[in-house]
Amino acid sequence: MAGSGGFPIADRAMGEVLFRLPAQAGHGTSITASKFLAAAARLAAELPDASFLINLCQNRLHFSVSFAAAMLAGKVTLLTSDRSVSRLRQLAMQYPGACTISEDSQPLGLPHGCVRLSLLEDAAEGAALTFPILAADQLVATVFTSGSTGEPIGHEKTWGALVQRSRAAALRFGLEPEVPPSLVGTVPGQHMYGFETTVLLPLHAPASSWCGPAFYPADVQAALSAVPEPRILITTPLQLRALLQTMDEPPTIARVISATAPLPPDLAGLAEQRWGSAVWEIFGATEVGSIASRRTTHDPLWTLYPGVTLDANEERVLVTAEGARPCPLNDVIEPVPEGRFRLLGRPADMIKLGGRRASLAGLNRILSRIEGVLDGAFVAPEDYEQQPTARMLTFVVAPYRTADDILNELREHIDPVFLPRRVIKVPSLPRNEIGKLSQKALIALRAHAGEE
Amino acid sequence: MSEAKSPLEHQLARLIVDTLNLEISPEEIVPDAPLFRQGLGLDSIDALELSLALSRRYGFELKSDDQRNRQIFASLRNLAAHISANRIK
Repeated sequence: MAGSGGFPIADRAMGEVLFRLPAQAGHGTSITASKFLAAAARLAAELPDASFLINLCQNRLHFSVSFAAAMLAGKVTLLTSDRSVSRLRQLAMQYPGACTISEDSQPLGLPHGCVRLSLLEDAAEGAALTFPILAADQLVATVFTSGSTGEPIGHEKTWGALVQRSRAAALRFGLEPEVPPSLVGTVPGQHMYGFETTVLLPLHAPASSWCGPAFYPADVQAALSAVPEPRILITTPLQLRALLQTMDEPPTIARVISATAPLPPDLAGLAEQRWGSAVWEIFGATEVGSIASRRTTHDPLWTLYPGVTLDANEERVLVTAEGARPCPLNDVIEPVPEGRFRLLGRPADMIKLGGRRASLAGLNRILSRIEGVLDGAFVAPEDYEQQPTARMLTFVVAPYRTADDILNELREHIDPVFLPRRVIKVPSLPRNEIGKLSQKALIALRAHAGEE
Repeated sequence: MSEAKSPLEHQLARLIVDTLNLEISPEEIVPDAPLFRQGLGLDSIDALELSLALSRRYGFELKSDDQRNRQIFASLRNLAAHISANRIK
């Protein structure tokens, strides 16, 4: 077990199952701690001499082994949900010598090449009897979000902080070594929520994580059928909604966990009633990771994880979690006694779609940099969070360029979920005397988009 | 490349426009143009929505371990071809 100054890469017995794969000819379906460590050690020795590794692996096992290999080799993993070419080029410039790791051969033309993963599924059992210990303050990952100005900000994660959060989550969700649950996650490892719940949790708590496909409802149904009970489905409101429409009789799901956007209580209630599952939500932010949970149908208030405290003043709320530096929270919350709080909302500038954050100011700045755009504004549709098909509205004053040209340029620079369906050209934007778009102006613009 | 749509392609274009609330008419979808990224510019959330509508309408389910997915979703024409081969409704 860990000494005071460090934590092992994984706190599991060598024979325990960490990850599960779909049955296929030629390889087994469970990856034990021993196999995992052997694969990570082998990959660590093959990694190029770079300090940073941009982990783009889509398969969860590949992702997890690459992450562990980077730690063993003393490299920092960079996690970005935005895979646009311009974003990756920007990262490579910001972190000189960073290389990418993915299942594709050389997809991006980045200056420093890319490690192509060979199949890990037939990894042999290793000879090691214990996991190497990493210092608690070793920087192991940097996770990116858009900052309040729209420029991506990297949030540095030390090994100690990540391990403490996994342990807190294991306590909160009552994970027991006697009945280790099977986690089926629909969220990618590059996203902080997916990283914590489906990659880190099985390293530090008695649980195994599914590494087969889990995007379409048919995938999720197959995944659930392939893993032993008790099952925990880790998902988002959008996907839960889709699953409820299609999975009539899934195998028993003991617990559903949702995050990334508020879960409508009706949806939670439907899942509890139809599947007999307990539906929980996790509250977190990339800056600090998961910090609280609630059972949606039972409680409007959130309960902080063990080891997490809030410190609110009039300006903002500071979160302190074991092993991590205090950090301000972006959401507006009202603390109540006994480690609980009420979630009030998000600052007006913050847009969240498909579990990704962007700031309006940042999107607008990208728009204004496009040649020929004299003025422009991104506008969020009303109630966009509850409508899977809602997308941003984008208005431009650009007499000499076509709407399609502008859309094509935007595509190079922003995450697809924030792209408008089309760009709407207008003769001018209804700005007020200080150059802002008033609430009234926004309503008029939304109405204009509807008429087109 | 041919612009003319088969009856199934017509029906499918209508389904895509309605399901995703696209602000274009079904006639504007070019059968050979890409649906994702370029072309219609659909994203992964759209893929999920579309999979629900396809399973309701045509009774087959998309799976992501299908290496052909990229090809299936490449254009209206390819998607229509996949539907005629796999539909059970």
